[in-house]
Amino acid sequence: MLFEQTTNNENRETNPLPFAPPVEITSDAIDLETLNAFDGLQADDGSDLVVELIDLYLQDGSERIEAIKLAVAKADGKSLKVAAHTLKGSSSSLGACHVAEISATLEQVDPVECPHRVDVLVELLSYEFARVKKVFGVERQRRLA
Amino acid sequence: MKTFGMKSDRTTSRRVLIADDDPVMRHLITTIVKQQEHDPVPANDGREAYRILQSDSQFAAAILDMAMPFLEGLDLIRYMRSEKRLMRIPIMLITAEQDIKLMASSFTAGATAFLPKPFTPEQLQSAIRMLLGNRNATRRAA
Repeated sequence: MLFEQTTNNENRETNPLPFAPPVEITSDAIDLETLNAFDGLQADDGSDLVVELIDLYLQDGSERIEAIKLAVAKADGKSLKVAAHTLKGSSSSLGACHVAEISATLEQVDPVECPHRVDVLVELLSYEFARVKKVFGVERQRRLA
Repeated sequence: MKTFGMKSDRTTSRRVLIADDDPVMRHLITTIVKQQEHDPVPANDGREAYRILQSDSQFAAAILDMAMPFLEGLDLIRYMRSEKRLMRIPIMLITAEQDIKLMASSFTAGATAFLPKPFTPEQLQSAIRMLLGNRNATRRAA
């Protein structure tokens, strides 16, 4: 498991955490094997389906992350859960495993009870999504070349 | 804007309702449904799917995401199973939840198939093929 609970006292707001991320990022941003599994499928107009999926994912993923940030700013747990859940699904389908795992964790965390943990996770999510964006950008170019 | 009026038997028997708020998943399912020579009818969330189903029952199958804004997949299944004109439509529920209880609940509510995410493209293709085949088998037996 990539994410572990770091403390039993996460909701103790009088003692803010020193913001050491409770995760260790050790592997690549994308599991290309998962992505390449889509190679057998072709879009109906003959274009590269993977490129289409990447474009949709990057567009929608950016919007979901903005929705997550907004939900956190408003301490809106329900909206946070919905946005994180959808991002988890699309990320796992395309092999963006770290984004999927962070989203899965965010889905379970209450922004009111654990604001510091949520802040760290959102920061990590943005970081991981930026990495994914970079890798997908390269993959996209490779496929279009 | 699309209309969802009555169609001829030949056309209606090939239409598949796809409800998912995730555009990546919606596009993927749409592509596979087209490959299997059916006509996808996409909905962006549960409410849109519900509105379509209120005035249109001519579907070969429905593929629904569990967690959607406004109305969840499980709610849609319950609605479809309570309406006589929608009762015979086979339904596949797709979900990112790994909860076995959810799978049980979806079958109790009336789902025909259940596909947990993540899945490979082959798994999705097989599941859709089975869903549409199941419907054909039901029609032949009827």
